[in-house]
Amino acid sequence: MREIILQVEDLRTSFFTRRGEVKAVDGVSFYVREGETFGIVGESGCGKTVTGLSLLRLLPEPAGRIVGGKIILEGTNLMELSKKAMRAYRGRMISMILQDPMTSLNPVYPIGDQIAESVRLHQNLADEHMVEQEVISALRLLRIPSPEMILRQYPFQLSGGMRQRVVGAIAMSCHPRVLIADEPTTALDATIQAQYMALFKDVQQKTNVAIIFITHDFGVIANMCHRVGVMYAGKIIETAPTREIFNAPRHPYTSALINSVPRLDRKDDRLYSIEGQPPSLMNLPPGCRFAPRCTVVQEICREQEPPEVDIGNGHSVSCWKVK
Amino acid sequence: MVTNVEVKPKHQYRGLTQWGRIFRNLGMILPVAIFALLIFTAIFANFLAPFPYDETSLTERRLPPAWVEGGSTKHLLGTDTLGRDILSRAIYGARISLSVSLLAIAITASVGTVLGIISGYMGGRVDAFIMRITDIAMAFPGLLLAILIAVSLGPGFFTVIIALSILGWSGYARIIRGEALRVRNSDFVAQAQVIGVSPWRIMLRHIFPNILNILIIGITLSVGTMILAESAMSYLGIGIPPPMPSWGSMVSDGRNDLDRAWWISTFPGIAIGLVVLSGNFLGDWIRDKMDPRLRQM
Repeated sequence: MREIILQVEDLRTSFFTRRGEVKAVDGVSFYVREGETFGIVGESGCGKTVTGLSLLRLLPEPAGRIVGGKIILEGTNLMELSKKAMRAYRGRMISMILQDPMTSLNPVYPIGDQIAESVRLHQNLADEHMVEQEVISALRLLRIPSPEMILRQYPFQLSGGMRQRVVGAIAMSCHPRVLIADEPTTALDATIQAQYMALFKDVQQKTNVAIIFITHDFGVIANMCHRVGVMYAGKIIETAPTREIFNAPRHPYTSALINSVPRLDRKDDRLYSIEGQPPSLMNLPPGCRFAPRCTVVQEICREQEPPEVDIGNGHSVSCWKVK
Repeated sequence: MVTNVEVKPKHQYRGLTQWGRIFRNLGMILPVAIFALLIFTAIFANFLAPFPYDETSLTERRLPPAWVEGGSTKHLLGTDTLGRDILSRAIYGARISLSVSLLAIAITASVGTVLGIISGYMGGRVDAFIMRITDIAMAFPGLLLAILIAVSLGPGFFTVIIALSILGWSGYARIIRGEALRVRNSDFVAQAQVIGVSPWRIMLRHIFPNILNILIIGITLSVGTMILAESAMSYLGIGIPPPMPSWGSMVSDGRNDLDRAWWISTFPGIAIGLVVLSGNFLGDWIRDKMDPRLRQM
């Protein structure tokens, strides 16, 4: 089995606002192996993006702060690194692709310069010619046509899909071990989305990078990920291999979420939706956080938080129904 | 029936004639020419001025310009209340007016930009601290402080520059901070952070170029403000000491004679207007050129 590259243990991130502490990430644990894609799926505001930013320790300070947990990347706990040492890790060891390709590139520089910035920062290359070679190879990796020409172009001259690839090239330019992709396909249209996902798989095969794929789209999960963590109100409530999540979801929230995906092979009059709203992260219910919306809720669910139960086969669930 | 319609390009930008190209860049050529002329004049004032700036002639007081009845070609732009040649004084005045305003702008713009970017990017306590100082600088009566400085340092060239600079940075700091705040929240700054770029580098490489257009507009607009501020100081007797002329003080000199000798104030006034206008045109042109979206067109 492949080596575990990134291990996250009991990560807790809070935002301290005037009205109180918002527990955006409340005890998240997962791991990713080399060459594997781990999906984090959940509705808006469940803490997916904050989890991603926490891994890079890039929270909007001073409001956002990691209050606990470990982020172990190849044996090093990122939480213990100094600010400067952490900066050296970003881009070189762990990198991220942001959501919107339209605005992720600086409008005043040609895109070659922007990839070169990362290369110069993390690789001690003797001369500019070598930097350019690295830039071109990064563009090639993302299958950008005629890279020698593209690198002199400004972001506004490229299409959305091309820009997203350039953003990918920046993230991959220094061969990071872990890549966090925060809904990289959301801003793209369906055909480009499919192309982009195929591209990602290709990049992963060539570089063996571990990918953490953050999305709310089960279709993308099915297509991209080896394993999935389902997130609800700041917590991963179920983790399983992708096939198992779709075939045998154990947590009522997971099944409800999968049920609410529109399907072509069923004739539904109405789209299924989960009753109620996610709880306020400032004022979480005492027991299971899904209890107020759960259809199979028991007495104990409202009183105590369910422990995480490993049911074998890499499948673990936090639900009182599962024994 | 389908007909083959040939689409002809409306404009052929590439094939511009030489004159066309010159016309399109008039916004740069004209102001640069004016600035070059004025700077040349300022440097070589000794050789260009027909008279010394302080040579008075009591028999030739308030002489009108050459083309007005009663004027003579000896004094092309006429003379002032003390019979000094206005052309010569305006030529020497370029020296003071340009150097004072450009130096003061260089100081205020740099200080304001640095503080504004740090404030906007760092946020939090640093921001609060810098902005409170800016508030104080903005609330302080500028002229009062200028008088205080002039009294304690004695009037002179550098006194004027210090007096203009000591509060003048606050406007830049305020505007630049707002812009830095806007740019810092954009995704490309987040992307730079993600790949491990240090805060100082982000400020220099990613924030600064994206606020440059605002800075340039600020600079071009403050050319006029600075020249006028300098003239206000001269008027109060705390500027460049007479008889050394500056355009501002020349305008003030002619104030009492506007009804009978309009030319005393008018010609230095035109000079000020020309500089301000050139500054604005040049600023527009630079801004257009620096925006890559406009460059390719």
